[in-house]
Order: sequence, then structure tokens, then C-alpha cells
Amino acid sequence: MSAETHPVASRGENVVRGLLILTGVGFGLWGLWLMRDFTREQLTSEAFWLAGGVILHDAILAPVVVVVGYAASRLLPAHFRSSTATAFLVWGTLTIAFLPTLSGEGGKAGNDTILGKPYVLSWVVMTLLLVVYAVGAALLRKRRSPGRSS
Amino acid sequence: MRLPTVADIERRIPRPEDFESRARGTALTARVGSALGVCFMVCFATGMWSHFQYSTPGWLTLSPNPTQLYRWTQGIHIISGTAAIPLLLVKLWSVFPRLFIRPPKGKQALLVEGLERGSIAALMGSSFFMLASGTLNIIGWYPWEFSFRRTHEAVAWVAIGSLLVHIAIKLPVIRTGLGEKVEHPDAAQEDPAAPTRRSVLNGAFIASGLAVLLTAGQTVPILRRISAFSVRPGDGPQDLPVNRTAAGAGADKTALDPAWRLEVVVGDRTVSLTRDQLLAMPQSTHRLPIACVEGWSRSAVWTGVPVRDLIALVGADPDSDVTVSSLQTKGAFGSSLVVGNVVKDERTLLALELNGETLDVDHGYPARLIAPNRPGVFQTKWVKKMVVTT
Repeated sequence: MSAETHPVASRGENVVRGLLILTGVGFGLWGLWLMRDFTREQLTSEAFWLAGGVILHDAILAPVVVVVGYAASRLLPAHFRSSTATAFLVWGTLTIAFLPTLSGEGGKAGNDTILGKPYVLSWVVMTLLLVVYAVGAALLRKRRSPGRSS
Repeated sequence: MRLPTVADIERRIPRPEDFESRARGTALTARVGSALGVCFMVCFATGMWSHFQYSTPGWLTLSPNPTQLYRWTQGIHIISGTAAIPLLLVKLWSVFPRLFIRPPKGKQALLVEGLERGSIAALMGSSFFMLASGTLNIIGWYPWEFSFRRTHEAVAWVAIGSLLVHIAIKLPVIRTGLGEKVEHPDAAQEDPAAPTRRSVLNGAFIASGLAVLLTAGQTVPILRRISAFSVRPGDGPQDLPVNRTAAGAGADKTALDPAWRLEVVVGDRTVSLTRDQLLAMPQSTHRLPIACVEGWSRSAVWTGVPVRDLIALVGADPDSDVTVSSLQTKGAFGSSLVVGNVVKDERTLLALELNGETLDVDHGYPARLIAPNRPGVFQTKWVKKMVVTT
């Protein structure tokens, strides 16, 4: 990580970087300007949602994933590790992406043209398919390289 | 027993080198990050285009052409945002150990580090905010106190601004990362069974692609059967989804009242028309999409009277601006402005029929506006009055 962090930038590249920073700061200030007439209540709610994602990720989601990864690397048979990791990645990110749809919230009273599918059932099917993939790919891996799998 | 000192606690906090997965690394981060950056830029551009439909800047004249433009831009907006969710999560996973880098020594280094971390906090917070508020808006759940549209717009500028700053800071690292081979050079020797960078990179792209395939059927017709998680399955009365029902808009009684009349007004001149009188006028039939800000869209065949013919009854020019107002008593967008450039298009209709049948009350019976290249929320339903404003 140390050698990768400090590659040298050329002069032309530094000009581009300077312009990007100026533009970026300008964009950010414009965003804040657009909030100038928000009420205190609105800003508090907005701040809660802005900070909430960072805290949820850094304090809960990311550590949980690290612990799961650590446990999987110790507990799973070697040939299961790679396919389980891929299945978990796809399952976890898709579950988060579909959380609003799965939440049972939202929709509109008397309107069955919105949220009209059996989403939880689809999620169970998706989960099962990914388990099948993880197990199937692991068994294939074991058969292909029996000597290296343990 | 002595209490732990700050140094004791610090020793317990992990360091970047404690994270053992060799799948992390610049080569992975740069690739996933670049894809994520493209998604964010596309999402931002299409999002701002959508905001222009709501409050049009002076330099832009709204046009009825290309007919499907808003359907495409808003469909792409939701697709690029959805694709970004798995990419963002994998990207953050790949750099998580860097959260534990200890602050540098020296005031200047500390300041630079602090500014960089601040820009990353702004980028993370605003990214989560955009994706969470956007996906919640799609399902119509608003568990907050702010205005969705205005705040989603303002935070978008912060998100893209902090993204540009982040790219500027990381540019040499990105360049190096993209130039490297994906795989960690020692990965195979150290732990041959461990997940590789290649498998994480492939997993990120597969998850991103699946997120799109499983939701985009709400706007891409051929994906309708595949998209098990699309919020708008695409069905509805007369084969078209409904955003706001007549009951939800408080228009269910007035819309079915036989005494309904359309009023066309210019200055102090008013012409009132019954539905039968409207049906007796020359009718036009066009295939036009309903394209909503939530990213769903569907084409349908509409029959009705061109708006320019209606305003001709009160002697107005075909390129006049027209404000169309609804019978609705509940909810926002009870009226909409149709600019002259759109009014003069003969496909801009006061529709009376949908897919060959009398308009369903949930689609705006007795009469609704339908115009090409226009957000669904401005396709005013249960029309009561048309006022020529220029």
C-alpha cells in the first residue's frame, strides 16, 4: 500500500488536478447555496441522512463484512472460499440495492400498479440460486484440482 | 488494575496492514472507482436535465422532440443510479483499511490529510444520500422532513463536487492503478484458495449488471419478465401503470360528474365544451410514452383533440403558452404549463381515449393532457381548464 500511495504527478497532470479541485469546490458551494432557504428542521433531517449512511457503513456494515470474511477464511473448506465470497458479494450488494423494494413500505393506497410483484419471494429465490452457485462452483473446483484444495 | 491509556486503546485499533485480504488494492479500487465515477456523472447529467424540465433555465426552450428523449434520460438516470449501488459498496470495501491510517505528524501534513478526509466524508455522505433518497423516491416512501426534489438536487452538486476533488487528489494513484495488472503479484503463492482481485472485480460488475437487469423492466419493455424487482411491473388499467389514482387525487367524484365541462380561456373569453362536443371535433391518434421521474415509462396509443385546435376556438395563436389545470384537490402538480413550442406540435393532445378505449378514470377521464418528451407529472389528468397565458 505504501509504494502505491505516492506516484509522482507530471506538471500537466497537476494543472488538470488544480482545475478539477476548483470546479469541485465550486460545485459543492453551489449545492450549499441551493440549501440557503431550507428550514432548520429540513437541514437537521438532511444532516441525519447524510451522516447516517457513513456511520452505518463504517461502524456496522464494513466491520461485519470484515468479520464474516475473517470467519469464512478460517471455517470454510478451501475450495469453497472463492465461490462463497463471490456469491456473498452479489447477494449482499443486491440485497442492499433492493432494500427499499423489500421493505414493504412505500406504494400508494388503492394503487396496485406500484410495488405489485412478490419481491420477498424473488429475494428468497435469488438467495437460493446464489447458494447453488457457491456450492456448485466449489465442487467443480475441488474436482478440477483435488490436490490443491485442502 | 489500571485504566487503559490512550496508547493502549490505540494499539487495539486495527492498522491498514492488519487487513489480510490480498483482493484489496489500487488496481481493483481504480477499476471499480472508474466505473462508479462514470455512473455518477451520467446520473448527474441526466438528473440535471430532469430538473430543467421542472424549472427551465432561460437559455433552454423545451421541445417536443425527440419524442422519447425524457423517457431515455430519466430511464438512464435510474439505471445508472441502480448500477452504482453495488459498485459503491465494493469500492468502499476495497479501501476500508485506509480508514485506519494514523494521522501524520506535522501541522501541514495534518491539515492536508484532514482536508482530504473531509472531502471523502462529503463524498461518502452525499453518495449514500443520493442513492438512498433516490431509491426511496422510486417506491414513494419519504421518511424525512425535507423536500425530496430540491434536496436531491442540492446534494447532487455536493456529491459531484466532492467526486471531482477526490479524482483530483487521487489522479496519479488512479493512473497507476489502471496501469497495473489486476491481480496482486503474490496472491497465488500466499493463499491460493483466497478470493482474488479478479473475482471481486468480476463480482462487482456482475452484481451491478444484475441490479440493472432485475429492475430496468419498468422502462425497457423486453426486460419486463426478467425484472423481478422492478417497482412498476408495467400492468394497469388499459395496460398502463397509474401514478396517482382519481381517488388519491380527490378527483374521483368530480371527474365522473355529467355536468363536467372543459373551459378554454383567453383573457375574458371563455369557451365551454362537453365531452361529446370534444369527441365531435377532428381527432388525432398518436403513440406517445408516459415517462415518470421515478424512472418507469410505457408507450400507449392516445386519441384526442390537438391542444392547438382547442385554443384556436378562442382565437389564440397555435404557439401560445397554455396553463392546464386539473380537477384534483389533493397532492402536488395540479396544473402545468405547456410552452408554445410544445403546444404547436399536433401530437400535443387533450386525450379522450387510451389504447382504443374511453380513458379510464385513473388515467384522467374525462380528458387529460398528453404531449411528447414531457415528464409524466406534467401530463395533467382530469383537465378542467386551459388558460392561454400569452
